[in-house]
Amino acid sequence: MIKIDHLTKRYNDTLAIDDLDFEVKPGVVTGFLGPNGSGKSTTMRIILGLDHPSKGRATINGKNYADIKDPLREVGALLDAKAVHPGRTARNHLKALAVSNQIKTSRVDEVLEFTGISSVANKRVGGFSLGMSQRLGIAGALLGDPGVLLFDEPVNGLDPEGIRWIREFFRSLAGEGRTVFVSSHLMSEMAVSADQIIVIGRGKFITQGSVDDLTKTAQGTVLVRSSQPDQLRDALLAKLAQVRVGNDGIFTVSGLTSDEVGEVAFASGITLFELTPQRASLEEVFMDLTADSLEYAHHDRDAAHE
Amino acid sequence: MSSNNTLMSTVKSEWIKFRTVRASILGVAITFVLTIGIGALITATVRSHYHEMDPLRRITFDPVSTSLGGTLFAQFAVGVIGVLFITSEYSSGSIRTSLAAVPNRTRLALSKLVVLVVSMFVVSEIAVFITFQMGQSIFSGVVPTASLATGSVLRSVLLAGVYLTLLAVLGYALGLILRQSAACISVFTSILLIVPIVLFLLPQSWQTSYAKYEPSALGQAMMSPTPAANSFGAGTASVILLVYVIVVLGVGMTLLQRRDA
Repeated sequence: MIKIDHLTKRYNDTLAIDDLDFEVKPGVVTGFLGPNGSGKSTTMRIILGLDHPSKGRATINGKNYADIKDPLREVGALLDAKAVHPGRTARNHLKALAVSNQIKTSRVDEVLEFTGISSVANKRVGGFSLGMSQRLGIAGALLGDPGVLLFDEPVNGLDPEGIRWIREFFRSLAGEGRTVFVSSHLMSEMAVSADQIIVIGRGKFITQGSVDDLTKTAQGTVLVRSSQPDQLRDALLAKLAQVRVGNDGIFTVSGLTSDEVGEVAFASGITLFELTPQRASLEEVFMDLTADSLEYAHHDRDAAHE
Repeated sequence: MSSNNTLMSTVKSEWIKFRTVRASILGVAITFVLTIGIGALITATVRSHYHEMDPLRRITFDPVSTSLGGTLFAQFAVGVIGVLFITSEYSSGSIRTSLAAVPNRTRLALSKLVVLVVSMFVVSEIAVFITFQMGQSIFSGVVPTASLATGSVLRSVLLAGVYLTLLAVLGYALGLILRQSAACISVFTSILLIVPIVLFLLPQSWQTSYAKYEPSALGQAMMSPTPAANSFGAGTASVILLVYVIVVLGVGMTLLQRRDA
């Protein structure tokens, strides 16, 4: 289990992480979701003892990372797949890691085999594609057969087959009772690969829950098409709904349920041709949740439209 | 398992890392080529021009430090080996992988130090002893020669290897502080080449009192069986250089401890 306890990290005058507080439990895949620059990698670096927190602490199974003896046997991590000396072969890289944590070197061939890079084991890592480097990083994380695993943006650079492989792999790790903590800036990826999701934005905790929980709490919208669009719009606006007018007079209404939209239309004597409730996609939920916390606001794009 | 056991496994791991990159292998090869090759060049040149040398210089001529002149070039090779041993971890980002495997930063730094000191000591001693013997056989018959049977000569040759080893550690220590290969190599080169030039521009009295503290002057003193004018004895010079290296290493290890990786 990973416990993040009121963690704050300040770099000079930027607040990279602002009082984060959550737990990552074993047995499920926990997604760590946030836009780029929201503090996911910083959090992971602090968990691994690489960066020092300004306040609070991160513990693994109740211990500071630095206090774990032979940590690769307890925690496996893939932070940056390219963070390997380019002149060293994959096998030697893994061998050095294994020896440092008193892991038997026969394990090196096992993880090379498992991640499907045995054929390039004796090649220099510098020539590896990003996908191969990701597999090598995963091999390194698995070396000590750890109960806690951290992956920072693991699907980056993987081909579709590799992505499917890694999703199944996360599930099976969690199925064995391990703690699996996976970061991503892609909601769609988290939706299919994670059971639990923790959302952060600009270093702040936003929400946490299962994929279902998150979509349930989000506001759905209603698609409406009618014979008198102008009157309908005025009637809806009078009920404090937000109306977005699309092509062919189709409105996307938010703030009211489909039942309420129907009532409004009936009360105003407007004929409806179409009334479709739409459940928010996880992607929309995410955009909604993190809209305020995006590092770069969208006004540049809007300005270009004007 | 005791903590000694863990230190040993980290040392073994660092040894694997040291010998499995080209930079180390190439660096060692260059160290041999420069020490032995330039040693041969210098001794052969001295031999062919010895009869022209003025008598005063013949009296102070030292066959030991002269034959070991290649070390003044090899010192850059060993320095770069030391620098790259740590800065390549920062440039590739693999320092994070290393620290995740060994979160005790002091232990990681000491393990690297052990690997560097042992390997560079062995390499340097082999190189200087070969160079010395080769130099004396080139001299023999024309130029006065020295023998390892003389205590002070043996000490000088041994200390030449120690000098190279200490400079490799100096490079490593600078690497811990600056973390960038190019910056480190420039600073390392400046310490050995630019500082003497700056000192040369200062008044004569300052030169005589301070020039002997330059690392390269200390190296010369370490390799000379009898101290030259305005220079330290071999023992004092070794201690001063060791103090320099320990101070820089101390700063480097403190920074490694404090900074984010």
